[in-house]
Amino acid sequence: MSLIRWAGRILRERRVVGHIARYVAAMAILLVGWWVASEIVEHFKGRAFLPNPIHAISEMTRLGPTLFRNFWVSAWRLVMAMGIAFGLGYPLGLLIGHERRLDQLISPMIYILYPIPQVAFILILFLLFGLGNPVKVAIVATALFFQILVSARGAAKQIEMEHITSVLAAGASRWQVYRHVVLPSTLPSILTSLRVSVGLGMAFLYIAETTGAFDPRRGGLGSFIDSNIYSGAQAFAGILAMALLGLALYILIEILERVVCRWRHVSRRRS
Amino acid sequence: MIDIENVVVEYGRGTRAVLAVDGISLHIEPGRSLALIGPSGCGKTTLLFAVAGLIRPRAGEIAIGGHVVSGPRREIALILQNAGLLPWKTVWQNANLSLALSKEYPEKTAASVLEELGLAGAKGRYPAELSEGMKRRVGVARALSMSPSVMLMDEPLASLDTLTKERIQNLFLQLWLQRRFSLLLVTHDIEEAAFLGQQVAVLTERPARIKTLVDNPGVGDVRYREMDPFWTVVSTLREALEG
Repeated sequence: MSLIRWAGRILRERRVVGHIARYVAAMAILLVGWWVASEIVEHFKGRAFLPNPIHAISEMTRLGPTLFRNFWVSAWRLVMAMGIAFGLGYPLGLLIGHERRLDQLISPMIYILYPIPQVAFILILFLLFGLGNPVKVAIVATALFFQILVSARGAAKQIEMEHITSVLAAGASRWQVYRHVVLPSTLPSILTSLRVSVGLGMAFLYIAETTGAFDPRRGGLGSFIDSNIYSGAQAFAGILAMALLGLALYILIEILERVVCRWRHVSRRRS
Repeated sequence: MIDIENVVVEYGRGTRAVLAVDGISLHIEPGRSLALIGPSGCGKTTLLFAVAGLIRPRAGEIAIGGHVVSGPRREIALILQNAGLLPWKTVWQNANLSLALSKEYPEKTAASVLEELGLAGAKGRYPAELSEGMKRRVGVARALSMSPSVMLMDEPLASLDTLTKERIQNLFLQLWLQRRFSLLLVTHDIEEAAFLGQQVAVLTERPARIKTLVDNPGVGDVRYREMDPFWTVVSTLREALEG
């Protein structure tokens, strides 16, 4: 009940309604742009290489249950991978960023590994995890891990000394410094990094789901698009579903950021 | 009693070592106040942090109530330049932070101090929603919540407008008169030092050494700023700083 009341309060806020309106307008503009582009391509090439958005949406409706099943498979993989990357990269990044000796020891290794295209690790991951879900999750998690780790390290280095001095002077232990200063002060940048990583995660999810054509348990939107690559409207129905998945995660992280970092969104009231 | 005995503080090691404080000795009786004043970057905050137990002196000794300071202690409260508030915590959480860290919260809270400082209605607000004056009062509430016997202040009113500054200086004076903690104040504001410090130590450029120690017995009256002895002390301090 309180959740419904909370959702109602959020919706009553003018900013939230404006936000939703902007997303709807953006989607409308993109669909019109897509429709114009498909008309132009058809006019010059004489064939509908780029399917019309109406056809793609009607294919989405027709393929509803299949697409929905693949949507959930991909969503589960992406969320798992993001969770693993966040759960490992965030604490490790904070430790490296906050503990100088650890930084001197580990950072050089990270900066040697970080620039290597993570695609290069795919074969090793297939050898380690075999076929099926674990390897797909591992591919995406590996790609996101470094991004979150590097962001967390950077955020931990930006912490204002005054905040740390303030809790140390009050007698804080090392753990209390992490709990009261390091974690909350770095959360906003990490959630921003996580939001940015949705795009990267989607790209790697597509690679993971289309690699290993011999894998009988492929599933997911990437595999769906790959299987329908020569029937344009169906492939584009899968691409649309992927875009919706990315958008849903993006919005979820934004809501999470507004809830856990409420202090960043308050404005100064009259005092 | 705060005993600072021939304290030397150095940053860095070997050839990169920078001497910040060079052999300072000061004694503050219980319930009395001392202001440290000196040029920017001379080492006054370093000395204050050493008294707070945040920096270990290379030589010399700091003792409070006869016990050598080796780290932050419950009876020592520190108020920082921008009040040291954590932006992600509400006024209530910020004021109770010291109690929470020492695990005395929620049995003991800062409710009465917040009430006394006129912040009871702002408990749920975040620092970004407060005026500068209110932020400083929350910092004071946090410090007072532990009922300290020693209050350390590091330029607590820097960057405030004149009227707010005077109002909070009056508040500091009233709280000090009521609670009689030992007060060690670091400031670059000559009038603030003359208003709050029963003794004012003028420091040299880095490394900090005591240039002059000025007695200021008139401290304790809110109208002290309107009296001649106050301005005599102000001009003595100005001469000492310029000389």
